Amino acid sequence: MSGWRVAGGGGPVIPNFGQPSACLKHNGWFCTDWLTKHWGDTLQPALIQHIQLTLIAVGIGFGIAFLLALVGFRWRVFDAPLGGFADLLYAIPSLALFQLLVPLTGLTVTTVEIALVSYTLFILYRNIIAGLRAVPDDVLESARGMGLTRLQTFLRVELPLAAPAILAGLRIATVATISIATVAAFLIQDGLGAPIFDAIETPDLFKTELLVTGGLAILLALVADALLAAAQRTLTPWNRLR
Amino acid sequence: MVASTFVDAFRFMPNHSSLLLEKTGETAELAFAALAIGLVIALPLGLWLGHRHRGLLLALGASSLGRALPSVVLIGLGIGILGVGFWNNTVALVVLAIPPILTNTYFAVEGVDRDAVEAARGMGLTEAQILTRVELPLGLPLLLAGLRIAAVFVIATATIAGIFGGGGLGDIMARQITYGLGGVFAAALWVAGLALLTAFALALAQRAASRRMAPRA
Amino acid sequence: MFRKHTRRAAKAAFAISFGVALLIGLAACGGGGSKQTTSSSTSSAAGPKPAITMGTKNFAEEFILGQLYGQALAAKGFKVSYKNDIGSSEVIDTALKSGKINVYPEYTGVIALDLAKVKAPKSAAATYQAAQSFEQQKRGAQLLKPTPFYDSDTFTLLASNARKDGLKTMSDLSKLKSFSYAALPECDQRITCILGMKQIYHLKNITFVPLGKISVYTLLDQHKTFGGDGFSTDPLQLDPKYTTLVDDKHIFGFQNVAPVVKQSLLKGANGTLLENTLNAVSAKLTLPAMQAMNKAYYVDKATPKQIAHGFLAANGLLK
Repeated sequence: MSGWRVAGGGGPVIPNFGQPSACLKHNGWFCTDWLTKHWGDTLQPALIQHIQLTLIAVGIGFGIAFLLALVGFRWRVFDAPLGGFADLLYAIPSLALFQLLVPLTGLTVTTVEIALVSYTLFILYRNIIAGLRAVPDDVLESARGMGLTRLQTFLRVELPLAAPAILAGLRIATVATISIATVAAFLIQDGLGAPIFDAIETPDLFKTELLVTGGLAILLALVADALLAAAQRTLTPWNRLR
Repeated sequence: MVASTFVDAFRFMPNHSSLLLEKTGETAELAFAALAIGLVIALPLGLWLGHRHRGLLLALGASSLGRALPSVVLIGLGIGILGVGFWNNTVALVVLAIPPILTNTYFAVEGVDRDAVEAARGMGLTEAQILTRVELPLGLPLLLAGLRIAAVFVIATATIAGIFGGGGLGDIMARQITYGLGGVFAAALWVAGLALLTAFALALAQRAASRRMAPRA
Repeated sequence: MFRKHTRRAAKAAFAISFGVALLIGLAACGGGGSKQTTSSSTSSAAGPKPAITMGTKNFAEEFILGQLYGQALAAKGFKVSYKNDIGSSEVIDTALKSGKINVYPEYTGVIALDLAKVKAPKSAAATYQAAQSFEQQKRGAQLLKPTPFYDSDTFTLLASNARKDGLKTMSDLSKLKSFSYAALPECDQRITCILGMKQIYHLKNITFVPLGKISVYTLLDQHKTFGGDGFSTDPLQLDPKYTTLVDDKHIFGFQNVAPVVKQSLLKGANGTLLENTLNAVSAKLTLPAMQAMNKAYYVDKATPKQIAHGFLAANGLLK
């Protein structure tokens, strides 16, 4: 830190914390000097945290949803209550769900993850079951006619045919999670939501931080969407429009 | 702990019924204004594109892009551009409402049975007449389904505006220190209630539309 | 009927997704928990040092103070983790009570008037004493030495409005039929805030505008509120666009900062080291110093970590 200013005899040394650029002084929308200066300490860590939050939520959500969907698909009697439970979780606004979990799991990442997983459960459960159910009956009959067991039919026929719907659900769930995770900054300091909230709370709104961090969040969602869309296309070369 | 919050919520509701009603009104006002404006923008566009069987990429792209826009970012941009008030939140919600309405309207009209459209064209109806008398009525159920999805989404997202001084039930949810966890839960239940009521009303409209179509189709 | 590669691709895709989900789940369980910043540093003698969980309240100056005290301790070999932006004083006090944190910077007036709820002390020293009694008797904690600077709430408004209505002191507000005041949500329950305006200034028809993650200066600029709770160390207090009304009835109290430390941390040689370290930092926190650090945050857009590091390094407190 250059430039030292001693304030009064015996008082503390007040270092020069640097001068803002003209762009920052006028609160411009895209001050590149702030961007380059704070990529390492603010933006990149937030981005990595956000990706972690999303991967964990979607990973665990998919695992649970898949198991629940297997149950609901195999034994129809469970489908209504399981589906209803998932619907119920989705109906609670994220802001409320985060706060309701705090007495149980504290002001931690775990609380946020539990809430995010609940939201992915709703999307994924419905999509997996819908995908499995969409397999035409005549296809199933042909499979049985060929002598495949129940398990073989499931693994070799139903799952692959349901894959596009499941991937579509995964795509929606991932993008939704990235979006909802920004609200988590209301509770914890993790993820891209934190710089966004900070920017809005600054007097007269810190425009560069808002635009850059918001842009990063949107970019992340679009990239995830594109990647999963590509995965969807490779699995269903005959159905490129989905 | 969960049980006690539940009890607190139901004790909060009768004690603060006028507050809850007022806040619900604010949220409803914001959400319905955004949906109305979104309809005005997206409905004609979706109808026109779907009728012409053009702009599939736009319809799909809008849907992908819409999902990728976090509400927090849009509200923040709204404040930065329009300042604090009613319109910054409304514009943010309009941007979020347009994609589902556009996509579903497009597919509703585009997916109408081609034979019916050809028959109408053969009978000498103008393009506008085909749209209003054949495609729109036949596509109405799917269109209303899209509107239902948009409505639930916008109502839930309108609560986020409460974090940034936007009022409504989100305001209660953001101020646990004032209203307690019971109040937060109560407000959440009322949001869910508002969303379910709206979805139900639209589901009724959807069923009425389907029933009206049945004899003719 | 189905191309073999599709079946295999699907199987592979599912296997991979499951594997990834499992791995992520395991990784999350293994290394999960709240995001914490720990600083590693050289350890000194006098046995193992206690772990410090530093809490901070919900505004910038607290983040900076947390970093100042935390980094100084880390430099002396303590293991410091942070829980930032916990909330208002009422909330963070609960966190201290329940042991979720064991150190946090607090304002003496807030402890005395809003937590202990004693009758308004007449001096900064009396306020400190009242706050100290509360923490010692009710919280098993102790206040260390207070800072030279103070940061109290204010009644900030646009200078143009103050001129137009002829307002110089807060008592003058009785001239107005009604007005709005913007502050953090806990304000309408505090005697150092709206409750005090009602009970001590006998002001009526106050519309409370709770600050929802938006700066009070933004609301003032956009005429969304008449008055607001600017903090006296905010850099914008020096902007001629805004002015503050004199708190002639002293509802805002005396607000020097002192670290609240759980008594268990102050035992033994490590306790003395902790006490001396924090007192050394507090001694350097004068009003010009805090104003400069707030300015660095709001105007120069530096992070609290950087600001604290710069200040501590410049004053030899990181050795």
